[in-house]
Amino acid sequence: MNARKTAHSFWSSLRFRLLAGTLAWVLLTIVVAGWGLNGLFQQHIMQQVRAELTLHLNQLLSFVAVDANGNVSVPHELSDARFSQPLSGLYWQIDQQDSQEQTEKTGLLRSRSLWDNVLPTKGIGSARAALQDFTITDTEGSVLNAVGRIIQPEEESSSPLRLVVAINHDIVALPAERFRNMLMLALSVLAAGLMVAVTTQVILGLRPFGKLRKSLTDVHEGKTLHIKGDFPAELEPLVSDFNKVLDVNAKVIERARTQAGNLAHAVKTPLAILSNAAAKEQTSFSTLVQEQVALAQRQVNYHLARARAAAAMQASSSRTPVKKSLEALIRVMQRLHAERDLDIKLHLPEEACLFRGEEQDFQEMLGNVLDNACKWARHEIIVAVVADQNEVIITIDDDGKGLPEIQKDQIFQRGIRADEKIPGTGLGLDIVRDLTDLYHGTVMTATSPLGGLRVILRLPLLAWG
Amino acid sequence: MRILVVEDEPTLSSQLKDTLTEAGYVVDVAMNGKDAWFMGEVETFDLAVLDLGLPLMDGISVLKKWRDAALDMPVLILTARDNWHEKVMGIDAGADDYMTKPFHMEELLARVRALLRRTGGHANAILKNGPIEMDTRNARVSVNGVTLSLTSHEFKVLEYFMHHPTEVISRSILTEHIYAQDADRDSNTIEVFIARLRKKLPSGTIETVRGMGYRLA
Repeated sequence: MNARKTAHSFWSSLRFRLLAGTLAWVLLTIVVAGWGLNGLFQQHIMQQVRAELTLHLNQLLSFVAVDANGNVSVPHELSDARFSQPLSGLYWQIDQQDSQEQTEKTGLLRSRSLWDNVLPTKGIGSARAALQDFTITDTEGSVLNAVGRIIQPEEESSSPLRLVVAINHDIVALPAERFRNMLMLALSVLAAGLMVAVTTQVILGLRPFGKLRKSLTDVHEGKTLHIKGDFPAELEPLVSDFNKVLDVNAKVIERARTQAGNLAHAVKTPLAILSNAAAKEQTSFSTLVQEQVALAQRQVNYHLARARAAAAMQASSSRTPVKKSLEALIRVMQRLHAERDLDIKLHLPEEACLFRGEEQDFQEMLGNVLDNACKWARHEIIVAVVADQNEVIITIDDDGKGLPEIQKDQIFQRGIRADEKIPGTGLGLDIVRDLTDLYHGTVMTATSPLGGLRVILRLPLLAWG
Repeated sequence: MRILVVEDEPTLSSQLKDTLTEAGYVVDVAMNGKDAWFMGEVETFDLAVLDLGLPLMDGISVLKKWRDAALDMPVLILTARDNWHEKVMGIDAGADDYMTKPFHMEELLARVRALLRRTGGHANAILKNGPIEMDTRNARVSVNGVTLSLTSHEFKVLEYFMHHPTEVISRSILTEHIYAQDADRDSNTIEVFIARLRKKLPSGTIETVRGMGYRLA
């Protein structure tokens, strides 16, 4: 799952686009350049070979002598020594065509280098006096590049002669191949160099994005309130705009909190006055007022708590030290339930851990659960904190009378109270569920080993330390 | 027992004053934070009921200033702000109890009684001293099980003695705790109440410490 996600993010990344785009063009350019250069060089070599062969052919032509009987001879050695060296790869050959009998005698005269071999030139070339290029495959399978010419000796009796100068293709191909190898090597080095350069450039160029992402993670995890550090000129406006959004967000939340507090004050004080005034009388009207005030109070509490929770979740989450918050709450419980002679024990892990969220929300969840435990406990309450990699598990046990199974599921639902006689709004615990849901945590109940109710809260853990 | 009520909403503050007065306490009212701070520092109160959202100076600041000035009277915060974060802030600023609005007057009275008792070091709602029993819940006093009938001023004087047994209490202290700030104070009337109480209680219950004041035997 994770690997797939990473792979997907790589294929759609800017890095991939830049790398793929540039590398494709670099490779294409190098291949085309290599092909072109190789072609040009081949052409150049062939032209040189042809020029050389033509030179030899012309020399041979000037040496050919035909006597009155029509006997052909080459009285001088050609200047290139390779013609006298057996199987040197450079050859000449003179064939005689018999125009009457439509036959020809190949290998009438040959260079010494041909030794016993005869170039299979039969039937090649027809137009007289025209210089012709051709390739020959000899009996042993070697390929030869050749230049040939058909001439008519001045003596009437003599048949046309075909003069051929040939060179073994391997001799021609060798420098071409060497050049191709060098070219490929050079172009490969160039391509590799360009790839390294492009990759380095992309990685260096995109590094600020990685830094930005880390800063954003820090903001998300509540380590910092703003994106900090220096960014390139192209990213700087984005960063400063984002910081502005964060500021505005924080202000909106603060304002929402203040407004919720003000609204609470504005609505609850008149409600208190109404309820106190009604309590003085014993009429059905005063009972109605009392009931409705209680109802209004519940609604106000519920919606205010929801509004606060929603505001908190829109904020970039911050971190709350579990130990400090729980200790503060226990101090409060000991004051608020001072009459009860309660013994509240707190078991914490060795290392300090941080809840990933607002302190207000943490205290709202734990405060309500703890307060409930304090209301019901006979004497003892144990708060135990256990944390693993990803979550903190807080267990609150009391030694009260506990709850029947059917009520255990209901106490976190809206507006259901376990007992109307216990003071309190009855709305605390459904808010606990709302808040744990918002933080992707859970709240469960069980029977406590102490005999009363056990409430188990699982909440996201930011980190140790 | 003298109580300072700090509440800026006039109707609610008069409701609080009436209820607490009916329950036998002497009540002074401050309508804003600055008055509350001043009154708390110059007058002597046995308890304060403090709202948090106040004009001029908020309740938490008032409370901190009181505690900085080493005023150790119990403080009950009575506020509409009901989230736990604010309860933590209130208690950590030095409050002894925290109630949220709307509230039942009975619960407020019960908590006021409990706070006063705890300050006097009593764990029970019924204060005992020798044969004298005082039930703070219904203002009933009995000697050897026989109920006494006391006027409200007599009750207030005896209540102060019961909350501070073995302490020598001067007439001026009694005056401060029995009369509201704006009442017509006359320390001679204290002597009248003491004399009446001595007639109703077993002889020797309230002894005179010459030049200092009185003490519950």
